[in-house]
Amino acid sequence: MKKKLISLFLMTSVLAIALCGCAGDKKGDDSSITIGIPQDLEDGLDPHKVEAAGTKEVLFNIFEGLVKPTSDGDFIPAVASAYEISEDGRTYTFTVRDNVKFHDGSKLKTSDVKYSIDRCAGLDGGTPLVAAFSNIEETVADGQTFTVKLKEPDTEFIAYMTAAIIPEANKTPDTNPIGTGPYKFVSRSPQENFIIKKFDDYYNKDLAAHIENVTFKVIGNPDTLAMEMNSGAIDLFARIPTAQAELLDDRFEIMEETMNLVQALYINNAVEPFDDVRVRQALCYAIDPKEIMLFVSDGKGTEIGSSMFPAFSKYYMPELNDTYNQDLDKAKALLEEAGYPDGFTFDITVASNYTQHVDTAQVLKQEFEKIGVTANIKLVEWDSWLSDVYNGRNYTTTVVGVDASSLTASALLERFTSASSKNFINYSNPDYDAAFANAKKATDDDEKTGYYKECLKILSEDAANVYIQDLPEFVALNKKYTGYEFYPLYVQDISKIRLAE
Amino acid sequence: MKYAAKKIVTMVITLILVTFFVFLAFNFISGDAAVSMLGTNASPERLAALRHELGLDEPVLLRYVKWFAGFLRGDFGISYSYRIGVAGMIGEKIPVTLTMALYAFVIMIVISIPLGIFAAMHQEGWIDRGVSVINQVIMAIPPFFSGILITLLFGRIFRLFTPGGYVSYRTDFAGFLGYMFFPALAIALPKAAMAVRLLRGTLIREYNMDYVRTAFSRGNSTKDVLYHHMLKNALLPAVTFFGMALADMIAGSIIVEQVFSIPGLGRILLTSISNRDYPVVMAVIVIISLLVLISNTLVDIIYSLIDPRINLNE
Amino acid sequence: MSKPGILFKKNTNLIAGAVLIGFMLIFMLAGIIRTPYDPNAMDASLKFARMSGSHPFGCDNFGRDILSRVMDGSLSTFKVALGTVFIGTFFGILIGASTGYFGGAFDEILMRINDAVFAFPSILLALLFISLMGGGTYQVMIALGIAFIPSFARIVRAEFLKQKNMDYVKSLRLLGASHFRIMFIHILPNTLTVLLSSIMIGFNNAVLAEASMSFLGIGVQPPDPSLGRMLSEAQAYLYKAPYYAIFPGLAIILLILGFSLLSDGISK
Repeated sequence: MKKKLISLFLMTSVLAIALCGCAGDKKGDDSSITIGIPQDLEDGLDPHKVEAAGTKEVLFNIFEGLVKPTSDGDFIPAVASAYEISEDGRTYTFTVRDNVKFHDGSKLKTSDVKYSIDRCAGLDGGTPLVAAFSNIEETVADGQTFTVKLKEPDTEFIAYMTAAIIPEANKTPDTNPIGTGPYKFVSRSPQENFIIKKFDDYYNKDLAAHIENVTFKVIGNPDTLAMEMNSGAIDLFARIPTAQAELLDDRFEIMEETMNLVQALYINNAVEPFDDVRVRQALCYAIDPKEIMLFVSDGKGTEIGSSMFPAFSKYYMPELNDTYNQDLDKAKALLEEAGYPDGFTFDITVASNYTQHVDTAQVLKQEFEKIGVTANIKLVEWDSWLSDVYNGRNYTTTVVGVDASSLTASALLERFTSASSKNFINYSNPDYDAAFANAKKATDDDEKTGYYKECLKILSEDAANVYIQDLPEFVALNKKYTGYEFYPLYVQDISKIRLAE
Repeated sequence: MKYAAKKIVTMVITLILVTFFVFLAFNFISGDAAVSMLGTNASPERLAALRHELGLDEPVLLRYVKWFAGFLRGDFGISYSYRIGVAGMIGEKIPVTLTMALYAFVIMIVISIPLGIFAAMHQEGWIDRGVSVINQVIMAIPPFFSGILITLLFGRIFRLFTPGGYVSYRTDFAGFLGYMFFPALAIALPKAAMAVRLLRGTLIREYNMDYVRTAFSRGNSTKDVLYHHMLKNALLPAVTFFGMALADMIAGSIIVEQVFSIPGLGRILLTSISNRDYPVVMAVIVIISLLVLISNTLVDIIYSLIDPRINLNE
Repeated sequence: MSKPGILFKKNTNLIAGAVLIGFMLIFMLAGIIRTPYDPNAMDASLKFARMSGSHPFGCDNFGRDILSRVMDGSLSTFKVALGTVFIGTFFGILIGASTGYFGGAFDEILMRINDAVFAFPSILLALLFISLMGGGTYQVMIALGIAFIPSFARIVRAEFLKQKNMDYVKSLRLLGASHFRIMFIHILPNTLTVLLSSIMIGFNNAVLAEASMSFLGIGVQPPDPSLGRMLSEAQAYLYKAPYYAIFPGLAIILLILGFSLLSDGISK
C-alpha cells in the first residue's frame, strides 16, 4: 500500500511539474493568427438568418454580397462587377461576375444570386428575413445580369445588397457555411473556437486574404484576457475592456475608435411620468456624460446628443450635444413644473451581460439622486431583456447601445416613427414621422440629409431619450501583424490583416 | 438486486422530476430560443416562423413527451443555437469536465492520505496542530476564491501557467493536462482538507481499538500495524467521503470553469440557459446527474471490495 | 454534551467559532447602524484609492469605500444564509419528523422524492432555480432553501427513527399524548444537539452557496454590494488592486470558518 501510494504521489507531481512547462508560448506559425471573441456564434451560421452582431462580424469574412462595404462607409462591387441605379430609384441593375467560385469549388451562377436575394425577401414563400427587403417587388436573372425592382423608390437600398450570396445547392447553410468571401469555413467547437482558412480561388487577387489560418477563440473569462494575450496565445482582440488593455505589454498596439452605437437611457415614452416631456428633459439636465465616461471608460468615449454617432459624419450634429448641459436647478424646476417637486421612483432595466451599460446605470442612479429622483437598477438576462424590454415594451427605462444594422441613416432613425415595429420606446411625434417620410422619399442627397438632420433635432429637443455617448472601442493587435481596419459597421475584416515587415 | 433497483428508481425519479421542472420553467420564463436568436431584429412574423421551424409552437406537455421519448432512444435532439446534434456537442465537452474532476480527485487522494496518516501518527504534536489549523482554513476557502488566488500566485507571480490559456485535449493533450492542473487544484484543496481531517480522526479512533493493542503486544512495529491493520479499516469511511467528494467535484466544476475560462459542460450549461437552448440544458443536466450517480455507485462497489462484510444485495 | 458550561470547557473549536462569528456579527451590526461611508457613493477622485487611514480597505473602480461595501455585503450574504437555513430547517423538520415518526408508505414516497432531489447536486439545482426564476435576494433565498431541505429532512428523520422506539415515547403514548405533542414537544428537543450542529453546517454551506451564486452574477442587484459579486468584479482589476478581491474573499472565509468551527464544537 505504502509503495503504491508514494509512487502515485511521485507520478502525479512529476506529471504536473513536467506538464506545467508545456503551457508556455505556442509556436509562432507565420501565416496564422488567433483572434479572441467575447462570445461564441450562437445563432447558427446561416448568413441570412443570423442576427447577433458577434456572429455577423465573424461571418463577414466568409460571405459577400453583390456589393460589400468599405472601411470608409462606401460600397464597392463584389460578386457584381458593376451596378446601376435608375433615375427614379426603383430599379437596380447588377452585372454579375463570371469568375466567382464558391468555397466548395462550384461556380457562382446568376441563379444563385436570385436564389439568395429571393430568400432574404421572402419571395420563395417565406417571411422576409430583412424588413427592408419587403420593398422588393421582383427580381430577374438574365445571363450575367441581375435586376431588382422596388415597390417604393429608395436610393439607400444599395446598402442592403451586401446580403450574402449563397449557393442554391447547399442544403445545410445552418451548419455548413459556403460563401464566396476571402476566407472559407474549416471547423468549429462550441464555446471553444471557430476556424477559417484562406480561400485560394478568391476571384479578386487584390483583395485576397494575407493570413493563411485564422482561429477565433471564445474567451470565457474576460478578466484573464491580458495574461492570455501577453503569453502569445491571442494576437487580436477587438473591444478589449480598458482594465485589460492597461495590462498588455509593449508587444501590443492599442488602437482606439468608437463602437458606433448610440448609448442612452432609453425611455418608454408611453408610461407615466415619462409621457411628460418636462420630466424627460429634467433627466437630461441631471446627467453629465463626461462624468459617466470618467467612471465607465476612464474618460474615453464620444458625447452624443441624438440618435446618431460620429462615424456617420454626414448626419452627425455635434451641436446637439449642448441641447442639455448639466444644470441641476433647471432639472428640479422642470420636475416641479411637471408636478413632481419631490421626485419619483423608477426602474432602470439593464442586461447584465453588458458591463458598460450596468456601470453606466450605476452612475446614472447617483446623478439622478441629486435631483431627488430615485432609480432602481434591475438586472436581467439578455434574453429577458429582448423579450420584455425590446419586444414586449414592458419597462420604464433601460440603458443599452443601439447600432445601425446597415450603413444607412434610416437604420438608426426609422425605429422612432410611430408605426415602426422596432419603436421600443413608444415614441410618437407627427412632426418626426413627417420629416422621416420626407427623407425617405427624397432622391436628392442634400435634401435627404436635411430631413434626416431635422429628425435628429426633433429627437434631441423632445428628449426622446437621455443620450449619453458612443462608447470607446479599443482594439489590441500584436505588433507582429498590421493592417487592422475600423469599419463604421460591426465587422472584423481579417482579410486586410497581414504580417508586419 | 434490490439495492440496484432502488438506486435506479431513485435516479429515474430524479431525472423525471428535474427535467420536467426545467422544461416547465423554460415555458414560464420570458424569452425563448426564437427571441434569443432574432435579437433586436425580431418582427412578429419572423418570430412566429422561427418558432414553428423549431417546434416551439407546440404545447409544453407534447414537447416534453417528445423530448423524453427521444431521450429514451438516446436522441438528445438538436441545439437551437448551434443547429448541431446535442449528443455530439456535449460528448465533446464531457472529457473536459470529467478530466478536471478526476484530476482533482487524484490530487485530493495524493495529498490527503499521506497527510492524514502523518497527522495521526504525530497526534497532538505541533505538526498535527498546525495541519489541523491550516485544514480548517482551507476548508473555508470557496473554490472560486482559491481559483482567483491560484491565478494570482501561479499565473502572475510564478508564471507557471497562462490564465485563460486553455488548449483543447484534441490539439495538445499534454498542454491540456498542464493547464487543467490548476483548476483541479482549486477544486481539490477544500476536499483534501476535509479528507485529511476525516482520516486523522478515524486513524486515531482505530489506534485506540483493542486489535491494535493486541497487534502491538505481539511485537509488530508501528508501521506494520498501521499499514496492515489500521489503514484498511480507516479507509472505509474515507471511501464514502471520496465518492461524495467526486460527485461534488463534478458539480462544482461549473463555477471553477468560469474562473479559469474552460469550455466544459459548465460553460455550455450557463450559455445555453441564457440562450434558452433547452435541448442542451436538459442534456447537460442529465449527463451531470448520470456522472454523479456513476461515481456514487462506484463507491458502493469499492466499498464492498474493501469490506466483504457489506453485501450490496441487502 | 449536556450543559452549555461543560460544552465550552476545553472546546477550542466552539470558542474559536463563537469568537469569529461574534466578530463578524459585530462587524455587520456596526454596518446596520452606520458604515464609514455610503457603500454606494461614487467618487471619481478615489478610483482605486489604496488602503489608507480614511479608507482602510481601499476603494473600488467607482471610488466606493470597500470597507463599507464589505460590511454591507457580509450582511446581505448573512441575510440570505439566514433565510436559506430557516426554510431548509423548517421544512426539513416538518418532513423529517413526520416521515420518521409515522413511517409507512407516506415515508417511502416522500423519502424517494427527497432522495431524488438529494441525488441532484444542490448547487446545480439552485443555479437552475435562479436562472429560471430570475435573480434577486429573495429568489436566491428560496432556491437555496429548497435545495437545503432534503439534507435536513434526512438528519431529522434519522433522529426520529431512533427516538420513536425509546421508552419515554412509548410511555407518553400510553399516557395519551397526541402525536403532534410527542413529535414537537418531546422528541424534537432531544434532537437539538444534532440539529444545531447541522444548522451550523447549513449556515456554512449557505454562505458558500450565496457567494457562489452572486459570483456568477445572480442574487443581490447592483449597486448594492454582495461579497460574491465584489469578488467577480474584482477579478478584472486583480493586479491593479488586489485588495479589492482580498477583503471580500476574507469576509467569506471568516464566515464559513466560523460556522464550521461552531458546528464541530457543538457536535463534540
